[in-house]
Amino acid sequence: MRRFLPLLFCAPLICGTVSARAESVSVPVLVPLTGFLSLEGTSQRNGALLALKSPPAGITADAPVIDTGTSPEAAVTALERAAGGPVTAVVASMLGTQMLAMLPLAAEYKLPLVTVSGTASITEQGNPWVFRFFPGDAVTKEAHARYVVEELGKKRPALIYQTTAYGQSGKAHLEAAFKRLGADLVFEEGVDPTAKDLLPVLTKALAAKPDVLVLHLHSAPTALFIRQAAASGVPVPIVAGSAMHQPSTAALLEPAELKGVCAETAASPISGGSAEVEAFTAAYRAAFNAEPDAFALGQYDGTRMVLDAVKAGARSAEDVRKGLSTGTHQGLAMTYRSDGKGNMAHSAVIVCYDGASRVPAIAKRYDNVTGVVK
Amino acid sequence: MRRALKFAPTLTLPRWAGEGIGVAVLAAYALLYASPYGLRVLTVAGVYALAAIGFQIVFGLGGALSLAHGAFFGVGAYATGILGSQLGWTFAATFPLSILAPFLLALLVGLPVLRLESHYFALATLGIAQVVLLLAVNSPGLTGGANGLPGVPGVLLFGWAVPRGLPLAAVVWGFVAAGGALAWSLARGRWGRALTLVRDDPLAAGTLGLDVGRLRLGAFALSAVYAGAAGALSVHTQRVVSPEVLEFPVMVSVLAIAVVGGRGRVAGAVLGAVLLVHLPEWFRFLERSYLIVYGAALLATIVLAPEGLTGLLDRLFPPRKRVLPVAKAPPAVAIEGGPVLLVEGLRKSFGGVRAVDEVSLTLEAGTITGLIGPNGSGKTTVINLISGLERPDAGRILVAGRDLAGKRPDRIARAGIARTFQAVSLPEGATVLEAVAAARLERDRGVAAAEAHALWALERLGAADLALRPCADLPAALRRRVELARALARQPAVLLLDEPAAGLTDAEKAELAGHLRAIAAAGTALLVVEHDMGFLLPLAGHVLCLDQGRTLYDGPPAGVRSDAAVVAAYLGEDAP
Repeated sequence: MRRFLPLLFCAPLICGTVSARAESVSVPVLVPLTGFLSLEGTSQRNGALLALKSPPAGITADAPVIDTGTSPEAAVTALERAAGGPVTAVVASMLGTQMLAMLPLAAEYKLPLVTVSGTASITEQGNPWVFRFFPGDAVTKEAHARYVVEELGKKRPALIYQTTAYGQSGKAHLEAAFKRLGADLVFEEGVDPTAKDLLPVLTKALAAKPDVLVLHLHSAPTALFIRQAAASGVPVPIVAGSAMHQPSTAALLEPAELKGVCAETAASPISGGSAEVEAFTAAYRAAFNAEPDAFALGQYDGTRMVLDAVKAGARSAEDVRKGLSTGTHQGLAMTYRSDGKGNMAHSAVIVCYDGASRVPAIAKRYDNVTGVVK
Repeated sequence: MRRALKFAPTLTLPRWAGEGIGVAVLAAYALLYASPYGLRVLTVAGVYALAAIGFQIVFGLGGALSLAHGAFFGVGAYATGILGSQLGWTFAATFPLSILAPFLLALLVGLPVLRLESHYFALATLGIAQVVLLLAVNSPGLTGGANGLPGVPGVLLFGWAVPRGLPLAAVVWGFVAAGGALAWSLARGRWGRALTLVRDDPLAAGTLGLDVGRLRLGAFALSAVYAGAAGALSVHTQRVVSPEVLEFPVMVSVLAIAVVGGRGRVAGAVLGAVLLVHLPEWFRFLERSYLIVYGAALLATIVLAPEGLTGLLDRLFPPRKRVLPVAKAPPAVAIEGGPVLLVEGLRKSFGGVRAVDEVSLTLEAGTITGLIGPNGSGKTTVINLISGLERPDAGRILVAGRDLAGKRPDRIARAGIARTFQAVSLPEGATVLEAVAAARLERDRGVAAAEAHALWALERLGAADLALRPCADLPAALRRRVELARALARQPAVLLLDEPAAGLTDAEKAELAGHLRAIAAAGTALLVVEHDMGFLLPLAGHVLCLDQGRTLYDGPPAGVRSDAAVVAAYLGEDAP
């Protein structure tokens, strides 16, 4: 069914308004729909398709979707396949290792890659064809650490992170940020994403007498850790990574278990904040029967910026690249502007749960944060 | 048209016709039809074909389910990635080192883990793969950690930077062709045949003079070379190395390719790789559902072609019947008269049970000695101790003045001792000629000579007409005869036979007795374990009777029936 989604969008909304002079764009969506990142990849795809569902007047959009799985090899093959036809820009995987593999080919084919990958130094490779519409760890982890130290006033953080690219990148940035803020970690430990019991690491962390637990885990481990912490009556607050803000993560927990838990993220569309964001959330729910997250919104914003560039006269992939490199886009989550390397997102928010619902409230916003992803 | 149909059944294609047609189709597709995307998929298929060819050596030929193959692939990939992206080395330096690194790792870990059997070996190799993966993820300074290392340069051949597309596909498939030709030649040669026997029956392989440990280690290390080469090429096609190259899906892909393509066959590796790498691409339009269709397609292939696609092709287009070689006697082995085997004070206990207790015996050249006794008296254990399948606790086994007690079976076999087994042990997938020729692999310079000598052994036992029959199809009596021919092909000074007449009719026993007398007449000393006194006593010149591991009787056959101890312990009062 999902492969027909673009067609469904096309029929009533796009094709019906096509004039003889309509500018057609092709934006292949190459995202992980299978494997351990399928939830996030699906959000990414949905965000892109929602943006392409209603392009600016005079533009028709085609969006072939190709599953990249989670291997770099499959991602490069998908890009090669997509490059076989006319391409305006590519919605590219949020998985850092896949992005690193796609970069050389994108440069060779001269195709702009629009992604919501927050990890890996993909924009630090000197490749002008990549655009990151999700704040990198240099931004989100800075906000994460600052909220813990400056807002909560905690000085003895314990860090539990994942032994994956996502976890290692976040850990490196958090370590540096806490040190700079004068709150050295009292405990840090990496856990495998397949671990079925996080009580041992929780017990060890509490033995170090921290005043806050800082998590940087994937979705399921985050939910598991918070459930076990709630059951154990952990007396210190928990500030989690972006995985916690995903509605699919919150759905794994009871609202009471979430009481007092906060998380960093680029955005939280279900938390509202503006009429435009609420309209986006409603449209997303109607189209996909699911709750949108920051990845969906980031990809929506990125894809809209591509469409806006076309609307502004971009007629080739090179034109789109120039538009993304030099332009500014007022998106739903934030204002996007390249820092010269393709980092478009420079804002992050902290959301917190009140224990009564699974919808968090935005507690703090950090804008114009800069940094280089390690 | 009618004339063409008339001649069609008589048309025969050369044995390599299938492979040749396949290569031509692939080349035509690459040159005339494939898009850049198609060429990329073909290039990836080439990488996996190379890895699978290596896996066919250790798994297909050697029968060892090595789950470290993916790790060797990853080590080769990381060697190229680190040296290429961090040190700026070119293909000429990185490629040999990417082969060397997994080769050395295989040698290092192969020595301990190859002693393990079946699933324990698989688990141990899986553990190795996990350790290598953890090292890669947790050594970010060297490997880039979980993100890996970008910026790996492309292939540079003699100053030519090979561009992606057709040139890169041609380079990768060039390596596949070279690696495939080498593996094909090894598989058809002495080494491959020996490895196959090690897979089918490692115990028998040892008693035929084959160094099982060395063969397994060689296969393991050679497979690592192929995996390392494939890993290196995969990184050159991706231009990035990350822990995914060490993860289990790579191993599963290679295993699936080998099984679907056809175990042990180079053509199977290539066919499997081309199919399994393309299959997900054909179904990719189904998005998430493609995994279901992909799985169903795999399952259907395995159910419809359990021997793999190459096996299915063989069934549909049977290869021509091969021509038998001309039988040729092997160079004569001089067996001096007098004692050829001296066993002194042999002892063996299993836990609290003393199976063999101070047994001594002497075998003279050209004689037949019978070894009798009730079940559990230690007869088979004596044969196992002499042939090296068990290590004695004490005692000496002297052949030509050399003490062989506790030596490996292959060393004992090379000293001139051959044996047969109580339960006939023949490789089920081999023809009779191949099974007997296995006995000559350690001695002869090539397979052709081994088969010519094997046919000579079969002729001596009147079994040459069985040469092309599969061992699996033979009735018990003929299996015993083939096993005897295999032992005879060793031209042994000492031949140990464990119940050779079991299950034979009287006529077959009489024929067997004639063969054994002829073998003894040629100078070989025979030790025959047997329960059938009517068969053994007229045949043997000397008899030993064991009871509870001890020698109860040691003398001429005529005295057996009148010996009170033998009668009491074994024959019984009513014995004829």
